[in-house]
Amino acid sequence: MNEQLTEERAAVEINEDYCSSCSICSTLCPFEAIKRDTETGKTFLEIEKCQVCGICYSDCPAKAINIIYYDMDSLTKYLVRAKQEYECDELVIMCKGSAPDFAGIEKLFGVTKFIPLSIPCVGRISEEVFLKAIVMGIKRIYVLACDEDYCRFDRGSQITKRKILALNLLLDQLGYGTEVITLKRNSLKVKVDKDLCIACGNCVFYCPYDAAKLDSPGAVSFDLSACKGCGLCVAMCPALALDLENWEEESISTLISKLLSEMKPPKILVFRCQWAVFPPLDEEFNQNVRFIDLPCASRVDTFHILEAFQKGVDGILIASCSEEDCKQEGASKNAQHSVTILGERLKQIGLQDRLHFCTVAPRYSGSFDRELEQFSKKMEAIYLEGGKE
Amino acid sequence: MIVTTSKPLDEVLDYISPYSNIFIVGCDGCTQPPRGLREAKILSQLLELGGKLRNKNFNFKVTTVAKQCDSYLTASALKPQIDGVEAVLSLACGIGVQTLAELFPELSVFPAQNTHFMGAEEREKGILEERCAGCGDCLLALTGGICPIARCAKGLLNGPCGGSANGKCEVDPERDCAWSLIIERLKARGKLELLEEIRPPIDYQLKGWRFTP
Repeated sequence: MNEQLTEERAAVEINEDYCSSCSICSTLCPFEAIKRDTETGKTFLEIEKCQVCGICYSDCPAKAINIIYYDMDSLTKYLVRAKQEYECDELVIMCKGSAPDFAGIEKLFGVTKFIPLSIPCVGRISEEVFLKAIVMGIKRIYVLACDEDYCRFDRGSQITKRKILALNLLLDQLGYGTEVITLKRNSLKVKVDKDLCIACGNCVFYCPYDAAKLDSPGAVSFDLSACKGCGLCVAMCPALALDLENWEEESISTLISKLLSEMKPPKILVFRCQWAVFPPLDEEFNQNVRFIDLPCASRVDTFHILEAFQKGVDGILIASCSEEDCKQEGASKNAQHSVTILGERLKQIGLQDRLHFCTVAPRYSGSFDRELEQFSKKMEAIYLEGGKE
Repeated sequence: MIVTTSKPLDEVLDYISPYSNIFIVGCDGCTQPPRGLREAKILSQLLELGGKLRNKNFNFKVTTVAKQCDSYLTASALKPQIDGVEAVLSLACGIGVQTLAELFPELSVFPAQNTHFMGAEEREKGILEERCAGCGDCLLALTGGICPIARCAKGLLNGPCGGSANGKCEVDPERDCAWSLIIERLKARGKLELLEEIRPPIDYQLKGWRFTP
């Protein structure tokens, strides 16, 4: 590992002064990133293996783990602020990996007005947060977790289930009834427009999970129990016949227009993989930059990129996980390939340097910020140069 | 499938610059990589962006047809949409472009692709390679299913030549020597004796130019 990386602040740290070496964290860690030194008895973290799910943080009985993202403090602050902002007493806590757009949430839970709390894994939310929310006056909490066999943090979804069961029992004893917290599971799924499908088989090739089948002539069919909603097939379909349910192409287009109208030049749009960048809950927006969080970088669609350029964006940054960290098989690699091909074509029409693909990971807090800063500087320079002409 | 590559956007912009109302027609047939609706839409976006830099605004209409080489299918799909169109940009192989040009003799029809060969895609590697030269006298039965006409740089029928080294071709060190592949394949099948017969030159009259199905 080079020096620059080791100097950076790791997103998760174990505070040895508080650690009692109880091993709960090393037992729970889905990535075997936390280990116990058999000689010294000390617990230590291998940050390169850590995927920053936060499960260890919320389950450490000694509060010996520090984490940069979504710690108790920032979650509490968010809840206080959001409760006022949204003016309601229903909270929806959702896994980013499985959450549909807001209209989709309405369909799932039948709630129209709610406080959204979207985080990388609901398994990381400690009991304390649920109880604090209830103390704050929140009446119902809806939890949207990924299906157990899809959980990208392996055990997060399972842990959530047990936690909620125990919490509801506790709340019942306290007199709040048994239904304060509702758990639902969801995963994004692909849908096919059979009229547009040309049965070319591209999705059959690209699907990392063998969900696409082209058994009979006519149109492709999907085994939805195998589909993990990464969106790679959607971005690769030459006939535009595929889409993600509740994450439709059109809603991304609408979002692009909305975001661009709020920005000042040089306008920079960032497509970021939800696993590569963990945005803070109180993310502040610079007037030049807006973000679109995607279920996976492989859902970055060539024509969404071009659409943004057509609508006047100056630069587009795509933040993806590295191939090693990719939570969906091969998705990062394919996304990078598509962006490279598009970059070559943009060069032909004088739009070189406007599209940049970077791989970042939340385990180092500054890695994304630095990429964005570099790209912003470049766009600023291009913009100023263009202004002089 | 027929392997095509995209023409440089500058060249396409030069073709269409005299016109404003342009019809981009994809092909869902055998062109590879796929040149269907997505590619047609992306091309329209790229040309619009490229046009802006030349201070030229285009109106693009985008569609795709099942097989551009099928004049019947193509006519029925496109005729109802052709009103107001000044130029047509085809994403099909050269055959599709010619079918469109014949269907709409009064319009300018331009190719957006360069057409290369009949080939196969090795998906894992993302490589498209020529496999058939359409000679009209298929000899794959004798060569272990490997075509020396399409895959030997010299199209030799009684190879390999002296330029074959370590299984590679002297024309391009990346390129497999087709005859080396043939020998390995026949050896594996225990059919090396097939090589003993000297093959006369291909009768290119068999290639033909027109058939009645």
